[in-house]
Amino acid sequence: MKLARTLMALAAAASVSACVDVPIGPDKSVDRNLIDRKDLSQLKAGVWIDPNGCDHWIIDDGVEGYLSARLDKYGKPVCSGSAPPTMVTGDFKGGSTSVIGDPL
Amino acid sequence: MTHALRAVLGAAVLAVLAALGGIALTAPVAAGTDGANAPVISTQNTRTVKGERYIPGIWVDPDGCEHWVMDDGVEGYMSPHVDRKGIPVCRRGNTCGVLNSDQYFATDSYRIHSAGRAKLEEFFRSSTATAFIIAGHTDSRASDSYNMRLSFNRATSVAKVARATGARIADVRGYGERMPAATNSTVEGMAKNRRVEIICIR
Repeated sequence: MKLARTLMALAAAASVSACVDVPIGPDKSVDRNLIDRKDLSQLKAGVWIDPNGCDHWIIDDGVEGYLSARLDKYGKPVCSGSAPPTMVTGDFKGGSTSVIGDPL
Repeated sequence: MTHALRAVLGAAVLAVLAALGGIALTAPVAAGTDGANAPVISTQNTRTVKGERYIPGIWVDPDGCEHWVMDDGVEGYMSPHVDRKGIPVCRRGNTCGVLNSDQYFATDSYRIHSAGRAKLEEFFRSSTATAFIIAGHTDSRASDSYNMRLSFNRATSVAKVARATGARIADVRGYGERMPAATNSTVEGMAKNRRVEIICIR
């Protein structure tokens, strides 16, 4: 089952990379893949705690991954201590579909 | 289309653009017909930039702050949207409490009145936040270094009360008079600037 899923995912990934060879154009604000297609404002994030204990937003969007610092209103890193360093919390794979999931 | 073919085509397009753009860019930008009064605009300031346009989208994080986000096919990129001073651009704030310093401290003091202490304990006990950032501020009277010290001491006093209730404090800071919320040229403005902000992290 797991092998079948991985194979399917790889096949899907191959078809996706085939179709993304079409030039995307300067507007990079949309996920144009056949699977997971969406405007990027809809991404769902979790929190990754870096080795210093500070928070980052982490998003697994199928074949794309995103990471960006969590800052407070003064521009300083937010180090909430909500989890130990190098841990990830939250439903950060919510943006990807079950088709691609996270095979790797 | 294969990658190599794409690269060749791209280079050809760039070359044509550079040839066309080269003429336009090196020509005098504001050549007057008489020539005498026309300002001399140095062509040293015009340059041809070789690059690719990447227009980002905006993703709003759960705190309400914006991030630049780009999807380049199978790669994704993201970076916080901050202004040129490094302040994040946010659609809403996470400040969940602003203490008016006049109601909690005597002038020049960082000892919290007992009534204020009770109010603070109640606030921290009822809050659902996972952690807090405490930031003290003053008005612009007295010296900058004095205000930095006073605001930090006041923030520390608030943090002590919070910790005693079991709250997790992520950071304690004093910004002195450097981050005013209102003008310091009126009495009301100065009163607004004397404050201790509590940021809730959820």
